[in-house]
Amino acid sequence: MGPLLNCPSMDLDLESTRRGTASVLTLRGEIDVYTAPRLRQAIVDLVNGGATRVVVDMEKVDFLDSTGLGVLVEGLKRARSKESDLAIVATQDKILKIFDITGLNKAFIIHRTLDEAVGESPAES
Amino acid sequence: MRPSGNLPRKADTSLAGPDPELDLEFPPRPEFVRVARHAIGALARMHGVTQGIVEDVKLAVSEGCTAAVAANSEAGGTEPVQLRAWVGAESVVIEVLDRSGEPEQLVAGNPRQINTGELPFERLLSVPIIRGLVDEVSIGPREDGPGTRLRMVVSISEDDSI
Repeated sequence: MGPLLNCPSMDLDLESTRRGTASVLTLRGEIDVYTAPRLRQAIVDLVNGGATRVVVDMEKVDFLDSTGLGVLVEGLKRARSKESDLAIVATQDKILKIFDITGLNKAFIIHRTLDEAVGESPAES
Repeated sequence: MRPSGNLPRKADTSLAGPDPELDLEFPPRPEFVRVARHAIGALARMHGVTQGIVEDVKLAVSEGCTAAVAANSEAGGTEPVQLRAWVGAESVVIEVLDRSGEPEQLVAGNPRQINTGELPFERLLSVPIIRGLVDEVSIGPREDGPGTRLRMVVSISEDDSI
């Protein structure tokens, strides 16, 4: 098979909404070296815009690699430097596995539901 | 992608022979890493590999191709990145080849041999992922001229295949 000529379409949708005091970033699609810069910019915009708590909802994320994970780590550091916070919502094994094998499950607060992440239901033990 | 009528059975060096089931070239740009990832996913599913292992293989390919694209970018290269793959009864063998120049390091099989010393942060995170997913890693020069060849083997245990 020879070189591909057609550029594949971008495959990450980002939607920013408010839930109480939290800024929720809902992601749909794949986070990799091509789409991760858009996630980085979205987090930067929220933190610089004064968000006190950013919740990244990854329930509809089909794929995450080290590039996307690096953007989340940058986002967490940026949020904390501005006295904000960044939390994750994720339940899919393929996503949780990446946090686990990199040890970053200890750095992030990972919630099972969006309600839990925005403080509208008690955290599961 | 082309089907092979004679599937290899072992994940050893001889498996990565001259006739890969998947042989894909793509421009060294970030938007094409997704194409490589989906191609290997389709090949693995075609062989009845379970979805969990398919995701592991896609992730390993994404990490390998992202590194190749980054190396090309740093070197200013425009030659295509090549993804080759073989699926056997016990493993998936993946090769990612680029023309970025000589390998930054040589690795001879053990994922723990990957040296993280000079890697930038983004690529640093790929190391534990590859170590966690891949059973064998080799990094060395291409046999057909300048460039780097990354070879990864992901086991498919009997419990993992349909």
